[in-house]
Amino acid sequence: MIELKNISKSFWRHEVLRNINLNVETGEVVVILGPSGSGKTTLLRCVNYLEKPAGGEIAVGDFRMDCARAKRGDVLRLRRKTAMVFQQYNLFRHKTALENVMEALLVVKKLPPKEARGRSVSLLEKVGLGDKLDAYPSRLSGGQQQRVGIARALALEPEVILFDEPTSALDPELVGEVLEVIRNIAREGITMIVVTHEMGFARDVANRVVFMDGGVVVEEGTPDEVFQRPREERTKQFLRRITPEANYSI
Amino acid sequence: MGASFDIGYVFSFLPKLLDTLGVTLLIVAGSLLTGIVAGFLVALPRMYKIPVLRALSGVYLSFFRGTPILIQLFLFYYGLPELLKPLGFDLSRAPVMLFVILAYGLHTGAYAAEMIRASVEAVDRGQVEAAYAAGMTPYQALSRIVLPQALGIAVPVFSNLVIALLKDTSLAFTLGVMEMTGKAQTLGTLTQHFVETYIALALIYLVISFTLEKVLLAAERRLNRHEAREERVVRRFALGKRGSYRAALADIETGKGGGI
Ligand SMILES: Nc1ncnc2c1ncn2[C@@H]1O[C@H](COP(=O)(O)OP(=O)(O)OP(=O)(O)O)[C@@H](O)[C@H]1O
Ligand SMILES: [Mg+2]
Repeated sequence: MIELKNISKSFWRHEVLRNINLNVETGEVVVILGPSGSGKTTLLRCVNYLEKPAGGEIAVGDFRMDCARAKRGDVLRLRRKTAMVFQQYNLFRHKTALENVMEALLVVKKLPPKEARGRSVSLLEKVGLGDKLDAYPSRLSGGQQQRVGIARALALEPEVILFDEPTSALDPELVGEVLEVIRNIAREGITMIVVTHEMGFARDVANRVVFMDGGVVVEEGTPDEVFQRPREERTKQFLRRITPEANYSI
Repeated sequence: MGASFDIGYVFSFLPKLLDTLGVTLLIVAGSLLTGIVAGFLVALPRMYKIPVLRALSGVYLSFFRGTPILIQLFLFYYGLPELLKPLGFDLSRAPVMLFVILAYGLHTGAYAAEMIRASVEAVDRGQVEAAYAAGMTPYQALSRIVLPQALGIAVPVFSNLVIALLKDTSLAFTLGVMEMTGKAQTLGTLTQHFVETYIALALIYLVISFTLEKVLLAAERRLNRHEAREERVVRRFALGKRGSYRAALADIETGKGGGI
């Protein structure tokens, strides 16, 4: 279970997150929606301390951390319980697909090479890249690179995977293959927090939708509740802007 | 002035000059080693923004990049013993080579520091974040993700740096070191065939520079092979693309290349 309590964050004077509270149950898929600049990326990055929150508490599984007082070791422990899939994939460019997935298994989890390799191969097969084990990222399409990124995240067996707009850097025709992979792992009961603008996907896969604006959680509920019967005016406005009329009324 | 030109002298001088090639290469190797160590020590506080050390490394860079190498040589040779005498170190009997390697080494260090910093910063930040997100320590991310890629990026700059150093060592003769240029001076004075000696000397520098450049280019290709697109495409577009990439990185090195 993930628990975020009173997370706040400012860049200089600019307050980007204001006392965010969010709980995610094990196996739950939470989709975060919100207009550009509302703090979605910043929130995800606070969860694994890529951004240092000004205050608040983060709990992942049995590990709990006071953000303001986090030590180096706490940050490492937190990061070893989470994994992230980036908008720009961020694969290690000097490593093959297989080496990308193996890297943290060898270096962080200290698995023996044979075991790391075996696990990585089967994960790459699972995301449909069994024939690209030895390809460098420069030889892979965006969709393939992002699937390596997903395999790399899965390899760590994290308590939660954080996805930051995993398909928004992709050519439209490649979006489907990546969403399909994410959909499949969601079905396996892996806990995920997903920032996305793919409304169809959100409706499909999310157990819960969180709408953020101006650094606060404006509204949350099941996809049905948020999409069909939004309570807050800001949510309604956002949905009107982002979904074509026809879809909205369905 | 001097005797009339005779091409034969060029060939007879070549082996004589090559006798001292070892001395030149020793200066180059010693200075490179010193320079790379110094470069790391200077680059780290700049990359990690360590307050006081960062200011000190700024002073170091300004001095070694802003003054002529010849003056640096003289300052080390004549100044260092004076500076250390009050502290109880007697350097009056220390070999000249020590001062030469120290001066060239620290000089090279200034350029190496900028090379290291620029190459490390050229590795995209996202990969470092991916490494951190996976639970790697800063040291693991640096040594396993950043440095291997920075190495490939650094090679073109390194290539310029080594060749500039090689040419700069020709000033060591001013302190009486019998390296190639010093030897050429002596030969010229003895035989009065100055032009021939300098032609022979230029030939040797040229061949070494050319070889170094080719070897380092091959190293660069190998280190960056993960960025290679389809083989055929590489060949067709290699010139333009690689040229601009190398040129862009070599720009870091602007101002470097001449001795005095
Ligand atoms: N490193 C930073 N330095 C300064 N300001 C930042 C930084 N990162 C984000 N911000 C600011 O914080 C606010 C929230 O940014 P964030 O990237 O979290 O928004 P977002 O909801 O992910 O937007 P988008 O949908 O465009 O990705 C924005 O106003 C942004 O300009
Ligand atoms: Mg964002």
